[in-house]
Amino acid sequence: MEFTTQDKGRYTEVSATGRLNMVAAPKLREVINGVVSAGGKRIVVNLAGTSFMDSSGLGALIGCLKLARQSGGDLRIAAVQPQVNMVLELTSMHRVLTPHATPEEAFLND
Amino acid sequence: MTDILARRALEQPATEQAIEDLHGVLDQLWIDAAFVPQLDQMAFTTAVIESASNVVQHGVPADGAELLLGVELTVATGRLRAVISEIGAAAHDPVPDIDGAAASAPLDEDSLLEDYDESGRGLSMIRALVTTVTVERQGDTNVWVLSRDSGQN
Repeated sequence: MEFTTQDKGRYTEVSATGRLNMVAAPKLREVINGVVSAGGKRIVVNLAGTSFMDSSGLGALIGCLKLARQSGGDLRIAAVQPQVNMVLELTSMHRVLTPHATPEEAFLND
Repeated sequence: MTDILARRALEQPATEQAIEDLHGVLDQLWIDAAFVPQLDQMAFTTAVIESASNVVQHGVPADGAELLLGVELTVATGRLRAVISEIGAAAHDPVPDIDGAAASAPLDEDSLLEDYDESGRGLSMIRALVTTVTVERQGDTNVWVLSRDSGQN
């Protein structure tokens, strides 16, 4: 899985491309940790290129959400693909990580 | 006897690379069995990767043995089946709680976030994604069998 980080002004966008499984999960934590350490408060994880996520990947996203909130910010997800959506709904985690249609919309009303 | 319409297998050391390779094997299976509905493909793939990841993350090799991951995937009429073997493994202790009640989701968001338990979540996801799941000891191998009824014709 590949990650790219982009400063979008109002938020930092982290694009995740590939499979968010037990191999990629620690890398996601590392990338988000870097964004938070650099002072990033509003983070959008763009999942348009994430074809698969398992409980390890979801666990990493949840951990990253907690980290962002602990540092006074927030983390949101966007452009979720069908398998990722299935996992979010199956675990009820769509209630805390509500998918937004596009990265631009994630913090639109804040 | 049920006709096997597609079959794929993998056996290699139980490492992270095995999980990446298993994704490739599943992709090949769905090329061979493109008639299986998307939802069944997604659910079955997720359950298989969860089980195999459990082997790689939590499998303990028996004394002097190398832990291997073996996976056999078969598509038959109306049925997807995976046999996931933890070869050269010590017996499970504790035995995975595959019969546990489905985790009931707490009502409020804060509890959902605080109560998230990754390994427990993986097992409960497997239970939710397949029709039957069993884990048993065969010789030096722990064997997971996942089966999902599929809506194919």
